[in-house]
Amino acid sequence: MPVAVPIEHVLALAGLLFLLGLIGVLVRRNVMFLLMSLEVMMNAASLAFVAAGARWAAPDGQIMFMFILALAAAEVAVALGIVVQLARRFESLDVDNADEMYG
Amino acid sequence: METAIFYIAALVAALATLRVVTHVNASHALIYLVVSLLAVAVIFFLLGAPFAAALEVVVYAGAIVVLFLFVVMMLNLGRTSVERERGWLRPGMWIGPAVLAAVLLVSFVFVFWGTDAKTSGEMVGPRAVGIALFGPYIIAVELAGFLLLAALVGAWHLGRRYLEERRGADDFPEEDASPDEAAPEASAEGNA
Amino acid sequence: MDLLWLVPAAPLVGFLILFVLHDYLPKVVAAVVGAGSVGVSALAALLVGMDYYEAGAEPTWQLLWTWMSVAGFDPAIRLYLDGLALAMTGVITGVGFLIHVYATGYMWNDHEEPEGYARFFAYMNLFVFAMLMLVLGDNLLVLFLGWEGVGLCSYLLIGFYHRDPANGYAARKAFVVTRVGDTFMALGLFLMFRELGTIEIQQSLTLANEQWSGGDTTMALIIGLLLLGGAVGKSAQVPLQTWLPDAMAGPTPVSALIHAATMVTAGVYLIARMHDIFLISPEAQLAVAVVGLATLFIASFTALVQTDIKRVLAFSTMSQIGYMFFALGVGAWSAAIFHLMTHAFFKALLFLSAGSVILALHHEQDIFKMGGLWRKLPIPFASMLIGSICLAALPFTSGFFSKDVIMLTAFEHASHGLVFWGGAAIAAFMTALYTTRMMIIVFFGEERSEAHDSSRLNMWGPLLVLCALSLLGGWFGFGVVADVLPDGGLGEFSHFSAVALVTMAMPFLGIFVGWLVFGRRVIDVEALAASKAGNALKRFFFGGWGFDWLYDNAVVRPVMWVARINKGDIVDWIYRITVAVTRGAHHVGSLTQSGRLRWYAANMAFGLALFFLIVLGVIG
Repeated sequence: MPVAVPIEHVLALAGLLFLLGLIGVLVRRNVMFLLMSLEVMMNAASLAFVAAGARWAAPDGQIMFMFILALAAAEVAVALGIVVQLARRFESLDVDNADEMYG
Repeated sequence: METAIFYIAALVAALATLRVVTHVNASHALIYLVVSLLAVAVIFFLLGAPFAAALEVVVYAGAIVVLFLFVVMMLNLGRTSVERERGWLRPGMWIGPAVLAAVLLVSFVFVFWGTDAKTSGEMVGPRAVGIALFGPYIIAVELAGFLLLAALVGAWHLGRRYLEERRGADDFPEEDASPDEAAPEASAEGNA
Repeated sequence: MDLLWLVPAAPLVGFLILFVLHDYLPKVVAAVVGAGSVGVSALAALLVGMDYYEAGAEPTWQLLWTWMSVAGFDPAIRLYLDGLALAMTGVITGVGFLIHVYATGYMWNDHEEPEGYARFFAYMNLFVFAMLMLVLGDNLLVLFLGWEGVGLCSYLLIGFYHRDPANGYAARKAFVVTRVGDTFMALGLFLMFRELGTIEIQQSLTLANEQWSGGDTTMALIIGLLLLGGAVGKSAQVPLQTWLPDAMAGPTPVSALIHAATMVTAGVYLIARMHDIFLISPEAQLAVAVVGLATLFIASFTALVQTDIKRVLAFSTMSQIGYMFFALGVGAWSAAIFHLMTHAFFKALLFLSAGSVILALHHEQDIFKMGGLWRKLPIPFASMLIGSICLAALPFTSGFFSKDVIMLTAFEHASHGLVFWGGAAIAAFMTALYTTRMMIIVFFGEERSEAHDSSRLNMWGPLLVLCALSLLGGWFGFGVVADVLPDGGLGEFSHFSAVALVTMAMPFLGIFVGWLVFGRRVIDVEALAASKAGNALKRFFFGGWGFDWLYDNAVVRPVMWVARINKGDIVDWIYRITVAVTRGAHHVGSLTQSGRLRWYAANMAFGLALFFLIVLGVIG
């Protein structure tokens, strides 16, 4: 059932998703949307890995996907904790409020 | 037929992701995120990675997005926040990032295009992935375990209420010093 | 021989005990530890000396441990014992022990530094240890360690009464001036190591003989002069002699031990130890003789006009060490070490009895405030008299035996015999003259002060022993260094040649003139000194021939002037500018640090895009 599509197409899709996520990170001020955009970016990276794995019929691509999954889980756990703190302290989810560490 | 499914799924993924990035309502954006993830899961399946597809659905769409939803509900992002989002998202803001992204996309495509290679069309099943994961990648698995443990501790620490109540306080509250709980665990570990 | 390690170890242990526990030790314990450790050392030295002779007077080594071992360079802490080292060890431990015993009494009721009793003995023990390492060390590194160690102890003990800034100044002066010499010496040692490739003293001397003897002696001359520079600084010879009179600020036992008997003779030891270098280069040896003669001459004139009893003795010490240098220079090697030993006896005796006088007069050091003390202070008087006749070298005292050989050897010097002998004879006359002056002013004439002799056995006991040593120390000859030094023992001279008779007569002449001038007052000295020329001459002599004035104007003032001009530290501007530039750049850089997450992410993305474009060749 697996298909043999040109790998450029898959990678182009991955790049598109990644850049959509990037646009989200750069544009959204709400930290929740920012984190969602990050998830999109990581997902796009996973897609690139899996596509590469499929190109050579090797398991390594999927293994990288699993590590990214673990990374995403860890990141979300910590980041959502930070979101909760941010909401409590600033009464707002605007990420630009947390700019105390300027030079 | 399958090839068509691939392109349809790709289209769905791209559109859903676009909505994730542009939507003003957090709950709706999350639903779009789930759609995007499911579309990518379909692509995984079509690329011959059924195990990855399953994990994508179970862990990403099932666990991580649910975690997001919990937080969204906890913070009670209702109508006011939608209004605020709308105020934040002015059209002019999109120009810069869009140009940047366009430049990057062109570069990506320029690099990828013309490789003239196809995906193998063969399936790499969970068995092969498992053997590789606990063979050559075992150290990485251990490290991922460490990472998750650290994230667990970090999330637990960040989630506690005293961080908010005692800003600037450098001492731990009494509730943390719980030798009654710590002692059995320590002994259990010692036995193990 | 096995006890050799104990000789330096005992004072070191004493030092450690006293230094660590000095606040907790009762005075009695401090005295017992302080003097006892040196006593143990002296006893060990005696046994070692007996073994040395029983074993046939062969040089021996004792390896304590290897200091370090790096790339074939492995200096060892190793002791080396030969006749020269044995003689020095005997003087250091023997005279050192007597002075320590004396000091237990002298320092007992010290009113300036009542808490410093244990500290005093700690420093003294450390000094003895360092001095022993200096003479017993088998390589240049250990020798240098001891050399600097005694300098440190000298500094600490000169400034012992640290509550008076003048004493601290004197200590610093001694330290800095000797440092000038030490720099020369360090350079000399480095040069030796570079040229000969070894730091073992005996080995390097052998190599020096092989490499330079008969050939090009320039290197030997340079090394010899550099070593002489070090010796001159440590032994207070012209032109680095100015620190010694000021060093009298320390307690009197310190003056006796460090600034008369042992440390200041380290230079003599150094030259005697390195004698091969000076034999290879006769010019260097001649320089030693000239330095010695000049010091001897200048110091003996200066001593004549001093009013402080310790300064008189200090200048006397300088001139006597001048004799030793002179002896080394004219080739009377054994006589130089012999004179070192006898001088240690009688000069320690003089200092200690002067200390008794000073103590009895409640720390009065001006000889013109003394006078008529011989009846009140019989023991100090008797011992000082004995010390004086030895210093003046009257026949059959120890000073006579050593000095006589030096002068007669000098007369036989190949090129400058008569000049050398004449200069030394005049200095011998001057020595007798200033000694007589000091004795007459201090002990005779009218009484000018109250004196209470409160010395006990531990103070007059050492005086007694030193009296015996001073009187009899010369009778048994001095064969111990015969195997080490090139002249093979003291020269034999007839005492009935004209030169010998004149040499012998000089001290008598000096005493006679001294008696006439200061005792019978045939010449009115005050009137002479009050006259214009006399006054100028007196001030010239009093100030040590203007050396202090010279150094003050030639070195100290210019340095101070430069320091004042350069208060802002010009060189520091380089670093200040660097700091300012760095700080400015940091401020510029920190403008990008807005603290906004999205700003950082945008920059990252921008950088990535730029990177891609460059890689793809679109830009750049």
